[in-house]
Amino acid sequence: MISASTFHVIATELTVGMFALSGIAFLLCLIQKGPKSRESVAHWAMIGGLVATPLAIISGINSIPSDGISDPLLANKLLLSMCSAGIALGVLINRKLGAVVDLKHSSLGLLSVGMMLTTAGIGGEYSRGETLLLFIPKESVFLFPLWASVVLVILGMVMIAKSAIQHRI
Amino acid sequence: MKFNLILVSLLLIFSSTISTANPGGEVDSVSSRDCAGSCHSSPSTNGQSSASMMLEAPEQVYAGLLFDLKSTVGNVEVSSNNMVGLNLLINDDGAKDLPSNDGWEIITDPNGGTNNFVQIVDTFSPVSVVERTWTLRAPSEPGTYTLYLAVQHGTPQGGVAMTGISEPYLVNISEVPENLPRLSPSWDPPNSRNIGEETLIKIETLFADNIIVEMKNGGEITTLEVVNGEFIIPESVNEGVVEWRVIMEGEGPVQTSPWFRLSSTAPGWEVDELTLYLQGFGLMLLFLGLVLSFRGPTSEHRKEYSEDQLFEETPQPSNQTTGSQIPEGWTQEQWDYYGQEHLNSLNEGGQQ
Repeated sequence: MISASTFHVIATELTVGMFALSGIAFLLCLIQKGPKSRESVAHWAMIGGLVATPLAIISGINSIPSDGISDPLLANKLLLSMCSAGIALGVLINRKLGAVVDLKHSSLGLLSVGMMLTTAGIGGEYSRGETLLLFIPKESVFLFPLWASVVLVILGMVMIAKSAIQHRI
Repeated sequence: MKFNLILVSLLLIFSSTISTANPGGEVDSVSSRDCAGSCHSSPSTNGQSSASMMLEAPEQVYAGLLFDLKSTVGNVEVSSNNMVGLNLLINDDGAKDLPSNDGWEIITDPNGGTNNFVQIVDTFSPVSVVERTWTLRAPSEPGTYTLYLAVQHGTPQGGVAMTGISEPYLVNISEVPENLPRLSPSWDPPNSRNIGEETLIKIETLFADNIIVEMKNGGEITTLEVVNGEFIIPESVNEGVVEWRVIMEGEGPVQTSPWFRLSSTAPGWEVDELTLYLQGFGLMLLFLGLVLSFRGPTSEHRKEYSEDQLFEETPQPSNQTTGSQIPEGWTQEQWDYYGQEHLNSLNEGGQQ
């Protein structure tokens, strides 16, 4: 078998590659250029990236040399990748429900891709001490207290439920 | 457009700078020598290190027991960060060269970890010699084994990755004599602790009737009290390394362990992981909800909208005409299908 760190490299390369491809296709959708297949490529690549994301997150946590999350960079990676996954999931669900790939839809797709690639950039800073992103937070993490996180979960679920009812009507 | 694309591409290519791989070093790790130097092997970016490298083990090394291996690096010119990467290996092939492949176990590396590649910052120069000690557990099978010390470093001018590897160093591993007082094969010393915490250590030995624990305290060696195989290393107030060893007495000859190193570091950044995971999950749901709430027009909506527009611009006969407007002799169905054609022919000047 392979170690968690090796599997993490495979999973992250898969995730980043898929999201990068999706990003290029969403960019073409945004500027309304390129082949018609850009919409399919954008969404299918995003699905691929989204499938690989949990594997990357879990293997990443398991490959941390210390007992737990002991670096602000790792916490930021986790939070950013979860935010990106949420947006990507929303974009895909919207598309499944028939949303048109317009400026807003493409922008949200690009936002998700950007956040995921930023997560990868933070990984480079953590493992090699180098990254192209100069202004990533290295020392600070926006951590909510437990009650605020519970409120976030409830708020998110309410918004999803409300959206489902609203669009059914 | 093509010209702009070529211009941007050329701009990006010429804006890049030539650099050696991993400036500033990598991190301590369990690492083969296959990645030594720059990824792009050319004489302009790689060089042969002038460093003199040496390994030294005790005369007697027993199978499966711990011992200190001393590594020495001298006569080396390095970059301004005074850093040299030391790599402990079992061959110079660049593959399958990890010490663990021969059954070696690194108990403590020079930086207090358990890696075979460590980065050392010290007074490296052509006239100085830098020593570092590794604590190893010998392979469990007696025999003659080979070890190598490899180095990676920069140059004072920068831009070139220097590498070098020592001559092979042979270590004779002997069978453990019967009744030799020794540390238990399953026991490993702790390597690190936080500042301000005293450390309770339980020693596990075999064939030892009495054990004495000594600790280096500045220039002196003090003896620590051992009760039921347990002793306490006092807390440290600063970051640093405490060295201690065990002297074991029994029926066999008296044995002295290597000096174990216990690093004291400031407590690292900590976070309640449950809170962090819950926050991550909450943020995912929140962003999912937000994106779903901001859903734009669906293709069905747009289709309906388009049809409405079409209706206003080019009225369909079926919608435009009512029963009273149907000419005589036409049924509703006929008018729905062929009415527009009839109206067009009238508009083009045909005769009714």
